Amino acid sequence: MQISVDHARCEGHGLCADQAPEVFSLDDDAELTYHFDGADVPDEHRSAARVAVNVCPVAALRVLP
Amino acid sequence: MTARTDAPLYRADIYSAAAIRDTHPHYAALRALGPVVWLSKQKVHALPRYAECKAVLLDDETFISGGGVALNPLANRVGRGTTLFSDGEDHARRRRQVAHRLTPKALRAMAAAVEEQAAEVVEAAVAGRNVDGVELATALPMSVVPDFIGWPQDGREHLLRWAGAAFDGLGPANRQAVRSLPSSLGMMRYARRVVRDRSVLDGSMGHDLQCAADEGRVMPDECAKLMIDYLAPSLDTTISAISSALHLFATHPEQWRLLKADPSLIPNAVNEVVRYESPIRAFSRTVARDTELAGTTLPAGSRVLVVYGSANRDPLEWDDPDTFDIRRDASRQLGFGQGTHGCAGQGLARMETSAMLRALVARVDRIESTGTPEWALNNLIHRYERLPLALIPA
Ligand code: HEM
Ligand code: SF4
Repeated sequence: MQISVDHARCEGHGLCADQAPEVFSLDDDAELTYHFDGADVPDEHRSAARVAVNVCPVAALRVLP
Repeated sequence: MTARTDAPLYRADIYSAAAIRDTHPHYAALRALGPVVWLSKQKVHALPRYAECKAVLLDDETFISGGGVALNPLANRVGRGTTLFSDGEDHARRRRQVAHRLTPKALRAMAAAVEEQAAEVVEAAVAGRNVDGVELATALPMSVVPDFIGWPQDGREHLLRWAGAAFDGLGPANRQAVRSLPSSLGMMRYARRVVRDRSVLDGSMGHDLQCAADEGRVMPDECAKLMIDYLAPSLDTTISAISSALHLFATHPEQWRLLKADPSLIPNAVNEVVRYESPIRAFSRTVARDTELAGTTLPAGSRVLVVYGSANRDPLEWDDPDTFDIRRDASRQLGFGQGTHGCAGQGLARMETSAMLRALVARVDRIESTGTPEWALNNLIHRYERLPLALIPA
């Protein structure tokens, strides 16, 4: 499973990082860091990652088909 | 177009005064009828369940906002040019002008001042002991938001009435919407004058917009619209969330004790309050092309109503939806909308509501209800009008 991050949409609300801190975090500048860019999200973090995609208030995250 | 399908029919008026005062039973009845329900009074399809509301909010190509998100043609015309009533590139461009000021990152600069103001507001209220919870809930947004938008001092006394009216006018064309019209127009006239006289406060969001107009990034008339875009939804909504929080913690003392024992629950408590008593009842969308939703074929040009307040109580999505519990994960609630039009001000709203809860937790032992609360009569905003409370100091 891969996730795409639309950085133009992301406003740094941080709800994704609350749900899946292993997958997303905000740096000191409140910019989103996605830890698996271009790679598959490891199995053990998949369900948390799905929840994170689901809560992003501006739909900046998508699970790639 | 009012093309009715074979969706189940709901005859009661969810915008009657009685339904505004006691709204949740109507939502439960709608949800029980099905995922898509025809409101015979408003002649639109309502979506009372979570899954369909979310699907519609996330599919902004099929369910568009450019035809307005109100339930009457006049408001849908008057509101043209706002972020809320636009799609695609127009929407992205308008949202870009100011949304960056509202991100949690940009708001950090304000955080300390907001905490301090919240502390002052709560201290004054605790000294008075018996308070109207709505007045208490109004103080912080009124001291933060107008400065932030850059609204000049002169004219602020009308803001709350204007903003409330702007929301009322987004409902169906009932008596209330008609009554709200002079106030809405008053706000529009005033905003135009502020832009023309360049009286926005220096360094504010409005000032940014003025500069954007000077540089040709937005049209001068758009400028006034965008100011209203941010002013209208920024007061009553947050006042609703804060006053509902006060009422919910007064009537659920065990939840209040949980919050006192562990203030790290505050951010999720804000989500749970917005889930449980969603400040905005519903907005609509226009169906851009024939489409199917949960087995119902919706014709192009018809309108659907996204009922946030009902989606957030849908038992298909939530365990015990009618139980207020700050420990549940309420982060997927739809009270701020979601997707392209997801609330641009939610960072500020969360910040204000959290600051009030932190100030209360630190200074108040318990909150007691001292009288029967009354709901405000507004088509769109679900908030208390009067909330008699006693704050027992810690
Ligand atoms: C608890 C408080 C609040 C609630 C519950 C709330 C709710 C909402 C909802 C449901 C929408 C989605 C509209 C749609 O789906 O068409 C929205 C949009 C919006 N809100 Fe809020 N809001 C709140 C506070 C604020 C504040 C404080 C501001 C401004 C400072 C604000 C500014 C906006 C704007 C500009 C939009 C339009 C965004 C767009 O169309 O792209 N809101 N809000
Ligand atoms: S939840 Fe969405 S907007 Fe917020 S930081 Fe994550 S991706 Fe960005």
